[in-house]
Amino acid sequence: MAVSNVSSVTTPVLSVRYLSIAAGGQVVQRGVSVDVHPGELVAVTGPSGSGKTTFLRTVVGLQDAVDGVILLRDRPAAAWGWASYRRRVLLVSQQPALFDATVEENLRRPFTYQASKDSTFPRDRAVAWLDELGVGADRMDQDASTLSVGQKQRVSLIRALLLTPDVLCLDEPTSALDVDSVALVQKVISNEAESRGLAALIVTHSVEQAERWCHRKIMLPGTKMAVDK
Amino acid sequence: MNPVQHISTIQLAIATLLIVFCGVISMALQLRLEKQLAIGAVRTILQLMIVGYVLKFVFKMESPYIVLLLTLVMVGFATQAAVGRSKLAYPGIRVQSFVTLTASGLLTSFVVTSAVVQVHPWYRAQYLIPLMGMILGNSLTGISIALEQLLTDLTDRANIIEMELAHGASAWEAARAPLHDAVRRGMIPTINGMMVVGIVSLPGMMTGQILAGSDPIEAVKYQIVVMFMLSAATALGCMTITLLAYRKLFNNRQQLERGLIAKR
Repeated sequence: MAVSNVSSVTTPVLSVRYLSIAAGGQVVQRGVSVDVHPGELVAVTGPSGSGKTTFLRTVVGLQDAVDGVILLRDRPAAAWGWASYRRRVLLVSQQPALFDATVEENLRRPFTYQASKDSTFPRDRAVAWLDELGVGADRMDQDASTLSVGQKQRVSLIRALLLTPDVLCLDEPTSALDVDSVALVQKVISNEAESRGLAALIVTHSVEQAERWCHRKIMLPGTKMAVDK
Repeated sequence: MNPVQHISTIQLAIATLLIVFCGVISMALQLRLEKQLAIGAVRTILQLMIVGYVLKFVFKMESPYIVLLLTLVMVGFATQAAVGRSKLAYPGIRVQSFVTLTASGLLTSFVVTSAVVQVHPWYRAQYLIPLMGMILGNSLTGISIALEQLLTDLTDRANIIEMELAHGASAWEAARAPLHDAVRRGMIPTINGMMVVGIVSLPGMMTGQILAGSDPIEAVKYQIVVMFMLSAATALGCMTITLLAYRKLFNNRQQLERGLIAKR
């Protein structure tokens, strides 16, 4: 059972109730519950094999839960329509997935989906974030495949932020970054949390990130399988 | 038009000398191919003779049920060949390929026999069976290439596809590029065939007709019909199989069911 200190000041934007998740046909966690409030950064910690990545994938609906309920603003995920839901509860994987195209084309792509048809691509903000996160505003026209892994990770993050989701599910968002870049990423996400109430579930192995940057943490206990190893 | 030139048993025996000649070369050069050549030659004679008698029987019977049965047996073998080549598979791939080959083959044959050649009834064995044979031979190649491309793409690019889904793409939006690529790849051999037909090679059917005494222009007209028919059947087959695979591999929760794709 995950530990969660639920704040009761605001209505949660995302409620995960009694979620059981499976990986490779095995149930790895049972009964995980967490409420995430607007502006709140929640660290998701736990030993290797405890299902942290699976937890995020299940929360965004890329795979089915074995049991449990996920509510976005008190509505079940399926009631939003899966594409609309995922646009609002957005996963950024640990391995950056970019197209063989320029940085700008990569950033623009999600705005071509039906679920984002009412949004326009905020190019100025994209340029500003590229600059702020140390990738460089001049890289908009660069072929994304020529970027370093760290740069790709930041471009992936910017692509997600541009869609202004309600909740970001970040899987080890700074795993490929140096200390300075980590600070820049944390600053941008914290700013979004404070300015517009972005909430985040952040999988991390870093105790420092979990305790100093995030507002609170939930811990996924190790499974028997993981303990045996 | 010249009358059909009949081939007597003696003439066939003379043709057999050609394969004996191959055997002699094999022995002289110590290629050790004599056994395979002999087996191959015997199989050629037996298989084609059996097919010949089966076709003669089916043509004589003129029964729609026998035509249907023979068609389904042919589709069964074609399905096995199409699916057997793929290194990746998913549950239901065989049934989907069978349905695809049956539908695309019969639909295209129907158009050709009823509207182009204007045979009555459209399923007359003498026309339908050879046409289905050509169509199946061609579309099974297209379908197996399309399937291979699609399944490889969905496996290798799963992280990109799931990234798109995670950013609000519908399953259709996320799958569009792999689906397009699969149909395109499946169609390429057929399109290439149309580009070089008559220049690099004379198609077997046309050559056969000419050898059997047909006017070359008539043979060419038939061949044009056949080429267009094969293109249509392959296009239809590639589109159908990729759509069926898409419906199987993406569910209504807009998820890619990666676990369904398995290596063989």
